[in-house]
Amino acid sequence: MKSFLRFFSTVKLAITLLIILAVASILGTLIPQGRSAEEYAVRYGGLSAIFIRLQLTTLYHSFWYLALLGFFALNTMVCTLTRLSPKLRRASRPVVESDPKALAALKVKDRWKRAGSVADTRAAVERALRAARYRVRTSGDGPRGFLFARKRIAGIFGSDIVHAGLLIIIAGGIVSGIGGFKTQIPLKEGEMAPVPRAAFEVRLDKFTTEYYPDGAVKDWKSTVTVLENKNPVLTKTVEVNHPLSYKGFAFYQMSYGNDWDTVTVEVWAKKKSDPAFLRKLTLKPGGRTTLDDAENTEIFVRRFLPDFVLGEGNQPETRSLQPDNPAALIEGFRSGAKVFDGWIFAQYPDFAQMHGAEGADLAFELKGYTAGAYSVLEAAKDPGVPLIWLGCILVMAGLALAFYWPTWEIRAAIEEAQGKTDIALGGHASKSRDRFEKEFASVAETLRRSR
Amino acid sequence: MTRLIFMEHFMFGASMALYFVAALAYFISPFVKKEKIAKRIAGGAFMNAWAGLLVHTIAIVLRTIESGHAPFTNMYESLSFLAWASALAFVLINLRFSIPRVGPYIMLIVVGLMALASSPLMPKETTPLVPALQSYWLWLHVSVTLIGEAFFAVAFITSIMYIAARDPERREKMDSVSYRAVAVGFPLFTLGGLVFGMVWAEKAWGTYWSWDPKEVWSLITWLVFALYLHTRIRRGWSGKRSAIIAILGFLAALFTYFGVNYLLAGLHSYA
Repeated sequence: MKSFLRFFSTVKLAITLLIILAVASILGTLIPQGRSAEEYAVRYGGLSAIFIRLQLTTLYHSFWYLALLGFFALNTMVCTLTRLSPKLRRASRPVVESDPKALAALKVKDRWKRAGSVADTRAAVERALRAARYRVRTSGDGPRGFLFARKRIAGIFGSDIVHAGLLIIIAGGIVSGIGGFKTQIPLKEGEMAPVPRAAFEVRLDKFTTEYYPDGAVKDWKSTVTVLENKNPVLTKTVEVNHPLSYKGFAFYQMSYGNDWDTVTVEVWAKKKSDPAFLRKLTLKPGGRTTLDDAENTEIFVRRFLPDFVLGEGNQPETRSLQPDNPAALIEGFRSGAKVFDGWIFAQYPDFAQMHGAEGADLAFELKGYTAGAYSVLEAAKDPGVPLIWLGCILVMAGLALAFYWPTWEIRAAIEEAQGKTDIALGGHASKSRDRFEKEFASVAETLRRSR
Repeated sequence: MTRLIFMEHFMFGASMALYFVAALAYFISPFVKKEKIAKRIAGGAFMNAWAGLLVHTIAIVLRTIESGHAPFTNMYESLSFLAWASALAFVLINLRFSIPRVGPYIMLIVVGLMALASSPLMPKETTPLVPALQSYWLWLHVSVTLIGEAFFAVAFITSIMYIAARDPERREKMDSVSYRAVAVGFPLFTLGGLVFGMVWAEKAWGTYWSWDPKEVWSLITWLVFALYLHTRIRRGWSGKRSAIIAILGFLAALFTYFGVNYLLAGLHSYA
C-alpha cells in the first residue's frame, strides 16, 4: 500500500503521463476515428486489423486510453492529497520563531541594528508589516522576539483547486458516459412523439427555414411543445444554439429534411405540334389525371426521387434525402394501353428520356415539387454536465489563485545585542518575486528610518 | 465594395505598414552606437507598435460593423485578429518587462500573419453567419482563445531567443519573460479554448466534448503547457529544457488553430 502510494504520488509519474497522453491523443487525430472496417482496410491494408485490434480506431474510448486517464486521475489525486496536509498546517499553524542564521540564508533578506528595546522594535516591525497589509503573528518575550507575517495565503492552494477541478471534470465525464444518453427524434409538423426514457412527449408545431437575401440558410426554427399526459406544459422555439430544456432533458435542433412521402409534383405537358398547348398538372406519386387533349391521355406519376441516381443494375434510386436531383417517373396511357414512359428531371429539363413520347407528340417538364418538412430534434440527457461546470469553475479559480494570488511571507528575528537591538528580516515569495523584493525593500527602508 | 470595407482595407494596410516600421526600428536600434539615440529609436518603435495596434483596432471594428458579427468567422478575419492579439500581447508584456529585443521578431510575425491574411487565397468578403455560429459564445470562445495563443506566441519567440542568446543576463530575462507569457496565456487558453468551448459545444451540439480533432489538439496544447508548468515549478526545470517545451506548446497551438482546419476533418469546419 505504501509503495503503491509512493508510486502514484510522484511528479515524475505526472510528467510521464502528460507526455503519454499527449502522444496517444495525437495518434487519435491522425487515424480517422469510428469508421467502418472496410474503410480502414482500403486505407491501411494489412495494418487495419492490427489498428482495430489495438482499438486505435476508437482510441478515445479504448480500454487503454481510459486506463491512462484513470492513472492520471489517481496520480493527480494522490499527489494533491499528500501535499495537502503540510500545506494546511503551514496555513493554519505556521512556525513563528525563526533562526537568524536561517533568515540570512534566504534570497530576500536584510539585517541591521537599531536603538530601542526588543519590545519596541517588535512593535515597530509589526506596525510596518501591518501597514503593508500583512497578517502578523508574534511570539517571544524578554531578550528575543519573533514575527511571522504573511499575505494571500490562499495562493498556495491554487494548484490543489485546479487538480480538484480536473478530478471533478473527469468524474463528470464518467457520469456522462454511464448515465448520459441521446437520441434523435424526427418529427413532421403536427406530429407528436414520446421521449425515450422520459415521462413526457414532444410535438413539432411548426418548422421553418429562414434565409439570407443571398439564399444561404440563416436559421432553422422548430416550435416545440412539451406534453405531459397529453396536456401541453411548455412551448418554445428551438434553434441551433438555443436548445429547449425540460426535466433534465435538452432538445437540440439537429437536422431537417423534406418528408418525401407527402410530396406533390407539378408537371407541365406540352405539344410539339401546337405551341399554344400547355397543361399544368399537380399530382402525387401514385396518382393519375387525364390530360385534356384530343386523345384523353391519362398521365400517371409512378415515382418521385429527390436525388436521382442510377444505382446497382442501372436501377434508379435516391442518393440522399436532399432535393439535389429531383426526378419523377411519368407514364402515359391511351385507351388503356401504355404509349410512353420515362423520367423527367427538374434540373435538366432537356434530359428527359421518354420512350414513345415523340410518337405521342407530348413533352413533359418537372416544374416543381412541394413536400412537408420534418425536423430532427436531438434529445439528450447528461447528468454529468453540472459536474463539468463545477470542475471548470474550480480549474479557473485555481489557476487565478496559482498565478495571480502570490503568497508572500516575511519573518523577523529580533535580539538584544550590546545595548542595541538586532533585526534579521527574511522573505519568501511563491510567485512574483521581483514585486515582492521591491515591497520587502520598502518595508525594510521604512523600518530603518523609524526611530 | 462598400465604403466601410474600403476603409477597413485601408486601415488594415496602414496598420501593417506601422507594424513593419516598428519591426525595422526595433531591428536597427541595437546597432546604433550612441545609446541615447538607440533608446530613442526603440521608443519610437514602441510608439509605432501602439499606433499600428490602434489603427488595426479601427480596421477590426469597421469590419465588425460591416459584417454585423464577430470579426473572426473566416481565415482572413481570424488571421487578422490573431495578428492584432499578438501585437497586443507584445505591447502589454513590453510595458511590464521592457523587451525591445523581442520587438522585431514579434512585429515581423504580426506583419507575416497579416500578409497571409491578405493573400488572394483568403476570401475577404463578409459573409452572413451560418446558424451554428450565431451565438455570443463565438465572441467569447474565439477572442479569448486567440488572445491566449498570442501570449503563447510571445513565449515561443522569447524561448527561441533564449536558445539563441549567449549573454547570461539576456538569457535569464528571456527565460523569465517566457514563463510570464505562459502564465498569462495558459489561463486564457484554458478559459477561452477549453471552458468556453465546452460551454458552447454543450449549447450548440448537445455535448460538451466530442473528441473532434480541434478539441483533441486543444487538449494536446493544454497538456504540453501543463507539462511546462509541472517540470518548471515542481522539478525546477528552466532554461533550454523549458524553452523547448514552450516552443512545442506554441507549435501545438498553431496546429490547433491552423493545421486542423486544413489537414483534419471535423466539426470545426467553419473557417
